[in-house]
Amino acid sequence: MIIENILAAFVELGNIKTITLMMVGVAGGLIAGAIPGFTIAMAVVLTLPFTFGMPAPQGLATMVSVLVGGLSGGLMAGILTGIPGTPSSVATTFDGFPMARQGRPGLALGIGVWSSFSGGMISAVLLVTLAPQLARIGLEFNPWDYFMLVMFALTITASLSGRSLVKGLIAGAVGLLARTVGEDEAVGMARFNFGNDALLQGFDFIAVLIGLFAFSQLLRDVRDPEAAKKSLTEKGTVHAKIEHLAAIRVLAKHWAVVVRSSLIGVFTGILPGAGGSVANILAYDQAKKASKTPEKFGTGTPEGIIAPESSNNAVEGGALIVLMALGIPGDVTAAMMLGALLIHDVVPSPTFIAEEPVLAYSIFIAFFVATFMMLGLQSFMLRVFVLVTKIRMYMLAAVILGFCGIGVFAINNVEFDLWTLLWFGILGFVMRQFGFPLAPMILGVVLGNIAELNLARAMAITTDISPFFTRPWSLFFLIVAIFSAAYPLFQAHRAKRKWTLFYMPAACFAVSVPLFMMGGIPRPILATVVVALGAYELWRRARNGWQLAETQGDEIVEDG
Amino acid sequence: MDRLNRDAVIAIVLLVFCGVFFWATFDIRQPDYGVLMPSTWPRVVLGVLSFLSVIYLVQSLRQGSEETEPEDTAREPGIRGWVLYWRNPLWCFGLFFVYLATLPVLGMLIGGVSFVFVLLNVLGGWDRKNLMLHAAVALVAIGGMWSLFTFGLGVLLPPGMILGYF
Repeated sequence: MIIENILAAFVELGNIKTITLMMVGVAGGLIAGAIPGFTIAMAVVLTLPFTFGMPAPQGLATMVSVLVGGLSGGLMAGILTGIPGTPSSVATTFDGFPMARQGRPGLALGIGVWSSFSGGMISAVLLVTLAPQLARIGLEFNPWDYFMLVMFALTITASLSGRSLVKGLIAGAVGLLARTVGEDEAVGMARFNFGNDALLQGFDFIAVLIGLFAFSQLLRDVRDPEAAKKSLTEKGTVHAKIEHLAAIRVLAKHWAVVVRSSLIGVFTGILPGAGGSVANILAYDQAKKASKTPEKFGTGTPEGIIAPESSNNAVEGGALIVLMALGIPGDVTAAMMLGALLIHDVVPSPTFIAEEPVLAYSIFIAFFVATFMMLGLQSFMLRVFVLVTKIRMYMLAAVILGFCGIGVFAINNVEFDLWTLLWFGILGFVMRQFGFPLAPMILGVVLGNIAELNLARAMAITTDISPFFTRPWSLFFLIVAIFSAAYPLFQAHRAKRKWTLFYMPAACFAVSVPLFMMGGIPRPILATVVVALGAYELWRRARNGWQLAETQGDEIVEDG
Repeated sequence: MDRLNRDAVIAIVLLVFCGVFFWATFDIRQPDYGVLMPSTWPRVVLGVLSFLSVIYLVQSLRQGSEETEPEDTAREPGIRGWVLYWRNPLWCFGLFFVYLATLPVLGMLIGGVSFVFVLLNVLGGWDRKNLMLHAAVALVAIGGMWSLFTFGLGVLLPPGMILGYF
């Protein structure tokens, strides 16, 4: 069955027009990812209007191509100029730039490109195999479970995306509220339109996303008048030829780093809220800890390039697993992808892969094919990148603002959407300035109606609210939401307060309860393992005499 | 304004915002059917938002002046300094506003090219060499995009009164 679907997907995508569009998408993504300040999410969201007129598989394949290109584009700027093109490639600069400065920019680029390819391939394989399995689990979800899943996604995003949990949660709540404006989907009553007919249709969520994210980011990029007039070429060397063979040899030698980092990337992607910006730092840190020569990290060691680049490409595979199987976007970029799917009347859910297998597998295969295209196009796009680096930031910003206007209007042919773009652009800019993370707000906007509809469905079944706390999956998401909300507090007080010694064991014991309640054989076994893990952690702390160990918290940067 | 004041002010603004929106939920018509009333979910969200705003307010008041925003040394004090510091984003917002306000008259092609051209000059400088370059960039970029959407994708972009006349 899987083979049939894969073949059908290949047939769907295997025409000249789609292949050409995918190549253009990958090339565009590579350049967008390479430009500091121009994030992958921006590239994906700005591509959206171009895909309206295309058939769903073609449009979605183009979007996936931009995404894959963007994930790999950041390494060019990071290695050659020392400025990461995207937050996902921050750690690449730690060793990539020193290696380039030591006279091996071609090798550094080669390692980066082949690591990206390997990470993408591993995550693509996991995407194809895991997404249908996760969708099968998703079929067990009832409205109570879905509602709690959304709450969990919002909570963990808020706790991971900024320094202040309260600000993150406020941003998420504002996002949920923004989605309530207009006619409600359940009974069609007007809400918060204040007598304005244009508000009855609500805010178009693509216009909101472009405003919040792209518009506000561009304005930040041109805030400093002097910096806005500079081009990238003033900040490093951009002339290099990728050394493919040497890079493959290096990767073969460090294959364990590739596999470990890719797995870190996939699982970070599966976790809502944690995107490439978290994965690349995490993988770099793990590679350093596992290395026999950790002191070489930061001086231009190949492992320091392999780890972040494998992981950041693997992240989106993980995020797509959850998006395709459950309809829940893991990060901002996945939220943009959800927007793309909805525009093409594709509503991801646990039944989606079973009901629309060809379309679902077209997306999976597009991820595969785009990863190969990325490999082939990197050498060519390096030359284009040299040209792009001569463009000044203010020119890019002004032109893209113009494009935003045309693109947003084209979504619904409604002028009001342009005003939505402006107001949410201002809101996003102000929120960034005041330290409110945008990722929870974007997820709030995207998930707002899913939460409300599932709440309405749950209330229609029974007005009793106890299933939110007694159904195993609902309870599971509630418990992980509570522990993820407490995580920033745990990080802040770790090694300082006694209660932090009980955080992990308590989390293990609490999570095991709904797992036991789920019944069957594998889940109670998993619950037993989790309980054993918690008991071991508790015993280890008791053996140490409840001593507070010195640890260092990692600060996590919001994903762009 | 230090961080204490700024955060407290934001929290108060949020609370006022919640109050206004909560008041507006009473204007939502309640149908005779359905279990979840259209006003219930917004009220739940507003309740959570109000609660978080109160915590934010308390936090900002308790923090006092311990944690203050790092001052930008390049920024002059006073309103003039603030405007100078933020002049580029302010220009962007202002020009985009004008672009939208004049859209019914100028349309997306003329309005878009004009918006990008003026913005390029405002951000990059008005000297003669730049003027030509900026005009070419605005024309090629927006003209090209307009053509792609109009002729390639078949999207009807607003022509405006001027182009509409022809």
